Amino acid sequence: MKQILLLLFLLQQDPRQIVEEAQRRTNAQSQRYEGTLQVVDAKSKITEKRWQYDRIGSHGSSKSVLRFTTPAEVKGVALLVVNHPERSSDQWMWTPAINRERRIAIQDRSTRFFGTDFSFEDLEERDTNQFEYRLVGNENIDGVDAWKVESTPRQTKVSQYTRSILWIRKDNYALAQIENYSKDQLVRRAHYTDIRNDQGIWTAHQIEMHDLKRNSRTILKIEKLSYNVPMKDDNFTLQSLRRES
Amino acid sequence: MRVLLAILLAAATCFAQDFTQRGFLENLGTLYPQDAKKDHTNTIGESLFRYEGFYKPRAALQVAGAIDLRIDTHQQVNRDLKLSWSDRELQRPLAEVRRLSALYHSGSVSFEAGKQFVRWGKTDILTPTDRFAPRDFLEVVDNDFLPITAARLTYEKRSNTLDVVWSPRFTPSRIPLLNQRWAVLPELPPGFVLHEANPDFPGGSQVGVRWNHVGNVEYAASIYEGFNHLPSFEALRDLSIRRFYPKLFMVGGDFAVPTPWITVKGEVAQFNSNDERVDDYFQYVIQLERQSGEWFFVGGYAGEAITNRGTQSVGFAPDRGLTKTLLGRAGYTIDANRSIAFEAAARQNGDGTWVKFEYSQALGQHWRATANLTLIRGEPGDFLGQYNKNSHAILIVRYSF
Repeated sequence: MKQILLLLFLLQQDPRQIVEEAQRRTNAQSQRYEGTLQVVDAKSKITEKRWQYDRIGSHGSSKSVLRFTTPAEVKGVALLVVNHPERSSDQWMWTPAINRERRIAIQDRSTRFFGTDFSFEDLEERDTNQFEYRLVGNENIDGVDAWKVESTPRQTKVSQYTRSILWIRKDNYALAQIENYSKDQLVRRAHYTDIRNDQGIWTAHQIEMHDLKRNSRTILKIEKLSYNVPMKDDNFTLQSLRRES
Repeated sequence: MRVLLAILLAAATCFAQDFTQRGFLENLGTLYPQDAKKDHTNTIGESLFRYEGFYKPRAALQVAGAIDLRIDTHQQVNRDLKLSWSDRELQRPLAEVRRLSALYHSGSVSFEAGKQFVRWGKTDILTPTDRFAPRDFLEVVDNDFLPITAARLTYEKRSNTLDVVWSPRFTPSRIPLLNQRWAVLPELPPGFVLHEANPDFPGGSQVGVRWNHVGNVEYAASIYEGFNHLPSFEALRDLSIRRFYPKLFMVGGDFAVPTPWITVKGEVAQFNSNDERVDDYFQYVIQLERQSGEWFFVGGYAGEAITNRGTQSVGFAPDRGLTKTLLGRAGYTIDANRSIAFEAAARQNGDGTWVKFEYSQALGQHWRATANLTLIRGEPGDFLGQYNKNSHAILIVRYSF
């Protein structure tokens, strides 16, 4: 028993193990939710958008499609993200008004996604193998103890962020916060709250992304969340973007 | 009219979870400060109502329908109360089936038949391989795509897609009306009026095949056999002109290469015709793209080389008119609701310039207002320069649902 506790203690102190355990606990064959986004600009003006999100596949090689449902003028606009374990993801955006998809080049991923405070890069998966980790401390966040882990992208990973600080809750390994830095400047903060257990997976039902440069925030509320929904691989292709337009 | 009723009936009866819809009502006002030689109208109003419905009776099957209803103050819209399918009218139809197609997919294969949009190519500023995409060029520089009647079979396997398109009925591009400012005609002796004879629409079908590969680098090859959707003109003895649409064979390719700083896109195409009246020619486009923060930049050059000169090469050809031209576009997203964009085209010989500035703002969840200013300058003999009296301002107010 003592040996197991010691092993657990050591595991917990290894930042990669912590992050991998956090990732393992979110494993699911697929995920679907409806998201409501409230974009609050620097003048506190609120704009609301909604999207439907589908994801298939395991970490590192998952594919996701995000499709706007409101407001009416962007209904049908969709983003396909194909993640790769060894390199940055491929992303394409479909715009029904011009009936064409457009590849989002890696160097363009720092751009805000459709007027929200999420950049295109923020919408791709953070696979553990693409980052180096360092435990920088323990901190209480939202009343819960959390590990504070610094991640830096490996050379194969192209990122707008030079480093990120992750807060991972000790009680359930759920992500509580990410601070993203460009050089030494904090540029974006994602705060994960309303964490619930859905089908055995601790999931934040609210993510607040704060763009500190623009002082604007986007609050993503996750509704109708379900895991392991039957989905087909051919619904995550460029043709599927066109089909479902 | 029966088709319209069928669409509306289908929309009404299928209103269920498997039915989605969208659309908008758009009011557009255009101000031309200068009179054109034969068109002294300085203000034009136009309204467009577009409704699109999508019904999915099964996961593998989708029926899509869309109609456009229009009216305007300048007779660019036909006043006949009938629903158009063919898009062959000189004027824009009052009511038009914009889309009516059934799409079936199973595994790697998709099949769509009916009236639909088919877009090929990767570049934006000029797209030589986009052969199934006729346009409405009534106002040459503010144009919109027209749908075609076609059957499209797509096979997608991993990184490769094979696209086969067959269009049984030709859809021409809509060209400027002869009595309006966007048709710039040669000087005629006093007392002579130019008339247009019935056009000579080709009767055969069009077919095209495109193979597209997606990877770190994207590239595609395409072939097309059909007709040029842009007309050439022949002069008849009674001093009238007749549009004809020459046979066209195209072999082309396109690519997109992301580099650490920019994305390079390009297209090349060789166009041949067995109609000796028209040119055979080669077109190429090279385009650079970059997004940075809230900015996006697109710039490029379009070129052309005539490989065999035709005996009579008078036609309406905006695609060729925009070659030997530097083109650029820049945009800035101010915030979630506001954006500005700037576009420009300049002929390399300096004979024609087109500049457009646009400001767009969303007002709440449904409304959007867009204002744009277009400045055209140049020599009368140049494709862009000939429209030097047509600089204009447009205000668009759209309600989307």
